[in-house]
Amino acid sequence: MRIVLADDEALVRDGLARLLEDTGIEVVGRCANATALTRAVDSWLPDVAIIDIRMPPTHTDEGLIAAQEIRRRHPHVGVLVLSHHLESGYAMRLLNETPERAGYLLKERVSDVAILLDTLHRITEGECVVDPTIVARLMARRRAQGPLDELTEREHEVLALIAEGRSNQAICAALYLSPKTVEGHIRQIFLKLGLHDSPQHHRRVLAVLTFLRAP
Amino acid sequence: MTAPHSVARAGVATAGAALGIASVLVARRHPDVSLAGDAPWASVAQLLAGLGLVAAGLAHWARRPASRSGPLLAAAGLAWFLVEANDPEVGSSLIFTAGLVLFAACPALLAHAALAYSHGRLRSRVEVVAVALGYAVGVGVVGLLAAALYDPRAQGCLDCPANLVHLGGSPGADHASERLGLWLVLGWAIIAVALLAWRIARASEARRRLTAPVLAPAAVYLALVAGDAAHGIGRGFQSNDPTDRRLWAAQTVALVAAALGTRWDRLRSVRMRRELARLVVELGAAPPSGGVRDALARALGEPDLILVYRGGETDWIDGAGTPVALPQTSAVTQLTANGELLAAIGHRPGTLEDPGLVEEIARAARPALEHERLQAQVRAQLAELRASRARIVAAADAERRRLEHDLHDGAQQRIVALALDLRLARRHVTREAPALDGELATAEEDLRLAVAELREVARGIHPAMLEHSGLAAALLALAEEAPRLVVGELPQDRLAPAAESAAYHLVAEILRRAPGGRVEVRGRLRSGWLVLDVKSEGGQPDSLIDLEDRIGALDGRLTVERTGQRGTLRAELPCG
Repeated sequence: MRIVLADDEALVRDGLARLLEDTGIEVVGRCANATALTRAVDSWLPDVAIIDIRMPPTHTDEGLIAAQEIRRRHPHVGVLVLSHHLESGYAMRLLNETPERAGYLLKERVSDVAILLDTLHRITEGECVVDPTIVARLMARRRAQGPLDELTEREHEVLALIAEGRSNQAICAALYLSPKTVEGHIRQIFLKLGLHDSPQHHRRVLAVLTFLRAP
Repeated sequence: MTAPHSVARAGVATAGAALGIASVLVARRHPDVSLAGDAPWASVAQLLAGLGLVAAGLAHWARRPASRSGPLLAAAGLAWFLVEANDPEVGSSLIFTAGLVLFAACPALLAHAALAYSHGRLRSRVEVVAVALGYAVGVGVVGLLAAALYDPRAQGCLDCPANLVHLGGSPGADHASERLGLWLVLGWAIIAVALLAWRIARASEARRRLTAPVLAPAAVYLALVAGDAAHGIGRGFQSNDPTDRRLWAAQTVALVAAALGTRWDRLRSVRMRRELARLVVELGAAPPSGGVRDALARALGEPDLILVYRGGETDWIDGAGTPVALPQTSAVTQLTANGELLAAIGHRPGTLEDPGLVEEIARAARPALEHERLQAQVRAQLAELRASRARIVAAADAERRRLEHDLHDGAQQRIVALALDLRLARRHVTREAPALDGELATAEEDLRLAVAELREVARGIHPAMLEHSGLAAALLALAEEAPRLVVGELPQDRLAPAAESAAYHLVAEILRRAPGGRVEVRGRLRSGWLVLDVKSEGGQPDSLIDLEDRIGALDGRLTVERTGQRGTLRAELPCG
């Protein structure tokens, strides 16, 4: 897997690069700002670009804007935005336009190699991944009327895990359920959210979006 | 006012009274040779004209000792009485001779007084020449030259006292000089009238208001003198036929008017004082801002007048307390009271050139001026205080933003880098010292928690969402975390940063302090104001002072409405 890395803090950039290379991932580009990132992506066309949300000059959401730009220019390049913000609004800005091949993780997650690698793989497979902490916050939120009301408690849990980018197998392990039961729940979720006509790999992404968008 | 001046004025007054009475007596004794005759109204008019000028001159002299106008007016008044002094009945040859020489001095003196009014200085060379010509004609030709050629006895006046300046000459020369004198008087008087008319026309409006009441009657008087001269030319000599008498009567009226005219500015200042006094009373009842300016504008008859107050040591403020520059009008007069500079008036030139008037304004309007100045100063301080409060809030907001940035871009990044290093180390250690791995894992987890905690701290200090996406998005984000916050309809537009920040922190604080239950927030924009309603099921927190302060600093309002257990808080914030 080929990765381009963008973070204005050299310590984090190099640390992350070494960690990724240690696990056998090829880091083809390291950038300190959005302009360099766009150039690197243009020339290397990596599998995934890992982007810190805060970058110069204003250190607010330059990374997010750069990620959206990459999505538009190179639909086959996945993006993983590393954020400092728990608020789902930022994740929505990333996923709303093209949710496939996109991930949104909190910054501290990067040192968790297992999650990082899993996320990168899910992104290259075309799925979208949202940080578990953000998903948990959304689950706890009081919601107005919407399609999610029809889901059972268990289906909610399954949907949240899908949003976190977990595989069916991981969901089974997390909820202590048999693969068959999990698949049944997922079918029910797709049915209730009106997604049964969409292609298989796309459904999961759409389900996550529905989950994120619910008011 | 110096003693010699008072003595001189007393002397002039006495002389005026004596001359007036004497001339009336002479005219009444010999009505056929006098102009006034013996009609009672004529005597009264004669006295009024002369004494009026003397009185006006003395008053002007007293008020403005440096001005020559006062003595000149008084002299014109005395000279007026001398018209009758060339009567044979005066007895004294000295007075008779003085009468012969000076009987025509009044027009020259009055023209001088009028042209020099009210400073006592002539303004141009033309005026100086005209005045000199007046004396040369009135005293020189018509008076002295004629007197030198006049032999009363040769003219058949056997009772006449001796003419002390008689030099000889034939009766023919006498008549010729008289005729020449009349022509010269006619010519000069026309010039003088023209100059006076020019002066009136060219004066600034304010100056005209002051001088026209004197200059116009003086011009009329001189025109009548010219008319009488023209009448005399046809006849060849000066006399007292009915036409002369009618013209003389008209002259008395003009002179009385001129005398009264000198009192005009006095009357105006009295009127202004009354206006100012009324203003003081008005201000005592309900002080309207700018009332003093309006009253001064009314009193001075200058609607565009500008009044500014001394704000501090060197600056000026207007009635509303806004700092202003000194008026850029063509004239600025400063008002001081007890040595303290109170205010400055911007006006047209001439309006306030009388220092007495300025003093009077300062005195009469002082309480009102001080009152309004204090008010203006208070307003200025209030405005400054408000601005400073808003600045403090803005500075605090900026500081919060800076702190949040520092936490994210400094400390947090360092910890993340540390966690990455630790994880890398762990990968190598795992193979060699499995026992250590557990401890390193704990350390790693602690670092992750530290980042999460740091993020919470940063967000509490300044939610990045507010800066990036506005109030509605930030409140929705807040609701993600605090499910008891229910976010209703909110304006989706970006508002002024200070208003967004104040509104967000208000809701966040209510959420933190309100005892429990749902907190509902909804807001709307109403003509440039954000109206935010925060309804709290569990009741409002006890103290809201700091929140009120924060909103007040932006010139907003916070009102509380408690209905039973629930309370609704309404914040109104300007965000235009």
